[in-house]
Amino acid sequence: MSDGLFKEKVRNFFKILCQTEWNATAAGLIVALLSILIMAWWRPWGAVGAIRNWGEWILYGVGIFDARPASVVVSSGSVIGIGFLAGAFISACLGNDFSFKFPPPWELVKAIIAGILMGIGSAFAGGCNVGGMYNAIGNLAANGFTMWLGLVVGVVLGLKYIYWEMEHITWGTSGGKNFDFPYGLKILVGIVALVVLIWGAYYYSGQSDNYVNSLSGILLISAGLGYTMQRGRWCMVQAFREPHMTGDCTLAKSVALSILVLAIGAAVLKYAVPQRGSAVAVQSILSEVIDEIDPDEVDDEELADTLEDVIDAADQAVIAARRTLDPVNYVRGTFGWGGVLGGFLFGLGAMFAGGCGSGTLWRVGEGQMKLWLVVPFFGISNALMTKWFRAIHMEGVGPTHEGSKLGIHLYLPDALGYGGTIALVMIAMALWYIIVDWNEDSNKLIVEM
Amino acid sequence: MSDIKIAPEGLEVARTLDAKGLSCPMPLLRTKKEIEKINSGEILEVLGTDPGSRNDIPGWCARAGHEYLGEREDEGFIRFYVRKK
Repeated sequence: MSDGLFKEKVRNFFKILCQTEWNATAAGLIVALLSILIMAWWRPWGAVGAIRNWGEWILYGVGIFDARPASVVVSSGSVIGIGFLAGAFISACLGNDFSFKFPPPWELVKAIIAGILMGIGSAFAGGCNVGGMYNAIGNLAANGFTMWLGLVVGVVLGLKYIYWEMEHITWGTSGGKNFDFPYGLKILVGIVALVVLIWGAYYYSGQSDNYVNSLSGILLISAGLGYTMQRGRWCMVQAFREPHMTGDCTLAKSVALSILVLAIGAAVLKYAVPQRGSAVAVQSILSEVIDEIDPDEVDDEELADTLEDVIDAADQAVIAARRTLDPVNYVRGTFGWGGVLGGFLFGLGAMFAGGCGSGTLWRVGEGQMKLWLVVPFFGISNALMTKWFRAIHMEGVGPTHEGSKLGIHLYLPDALGYGGTIALVMIAMALWYIIVDWNEDSNKLIVEM
Repeated sequence: MSDIKIAPEGLEVARTLDAKGLSCPMPLLRTKKEIEKINSGEILEVLGTDPGSRNDIPGWCARAGHEYLGEREDEGFIRFYVRKK
């Protein structure tokens, strides 16, 4: 009997891990944790970096771009996208959610419009819903809030459009097809994909180049994000849309909590690590160089050279330690109209698509062909916009976006201090939470059909 | 999500909505619109392929007051059943 019981518990464990939809709050907290971990590993994650890299390859392939883009397996943005897709695909296979879902033709038209709007929107906002909003607020960058505002307006207008469309467009709105596979085959393919993913991470970690080497962690943490978001159907555009559509605020609350936890994690890393991390790096390099000095054999010239090396090494160490966690990184010059307009266009596009940047990618992983079509158009339009913006210095120059025409480059702790910044994020997220909760019962903000 | 609710066999359906291949939020919005076309107490059948509908449709029923009768797996799609309030 106890054997049967144990088997049942194993089956239950598999069911909870791979089959049932994860609770939104738990999924949001895991997403926040992984977002902090990938930041600590190297860099925050984003969706548009991957999509743009793939778009650049398409443009290079058809001869529009002359310069060869970064390799899809070396560009850190693209590796994030590959890991994320792999994680979502594994989750969809093991959970029996994967199948090729072909939508009716009108949905494919919407996918093209959606991709173009999302590409343009994320160029204005300095990122998609992840890099421009979620991880921007998470990186304590003011531009995250302007995109947030634009997203709310864009999603509400997009919802009004969809209501209009349902009344007025009849062409190509039915006749979708689904190509499913036996569940056993999906489990097998899911396990193979998992093995390939782990092999990929080991392959990266075996490379001598520091940059390539660190892609191992990027690949695995991104896969964790993709897995979690698919399993929890954790969708940011839904968090913005649902309060106005059905009143349901489960995901909005979960996203608000996730952003708060992420911002606290980022504040810890950004405040503490450059202080401690760079000090340790400098000390270790200094002691290494000084150990080589034999005081008896040093003449003055040599001592001077050595000292120069020491200073150089110390500078390099500081740069290396700051490279990832320096507050100036990942703050964009879009705190202003760029962020609002970008958020608006992106939100509108995400409503056409039925998924934001991250939501599009995990739906690609479960075989939704509509989203497969969104990605290339998203990538192409963003690559073209980004190239144009760079050429005319739209977002200014240098790491602080000097002279940006889209808005201000503002690292919130520079204006409010770390305490003030965390307080601001807390208040903003608490207000969002309370408003959507109030709306769930009062239905005051629901856009009627 | 709790366990999947299986609908009883042989339900008498007043109307069927084909939402196959549609992704979030279209299946739910089309369901909302389609249910306007049947009378109180009648049953709407929704054919869908979006895994999200497993959560969305019961959730919306609870919110809007309709009775969610459950789902039945078919060849490559799912049939959802809703009794209008």
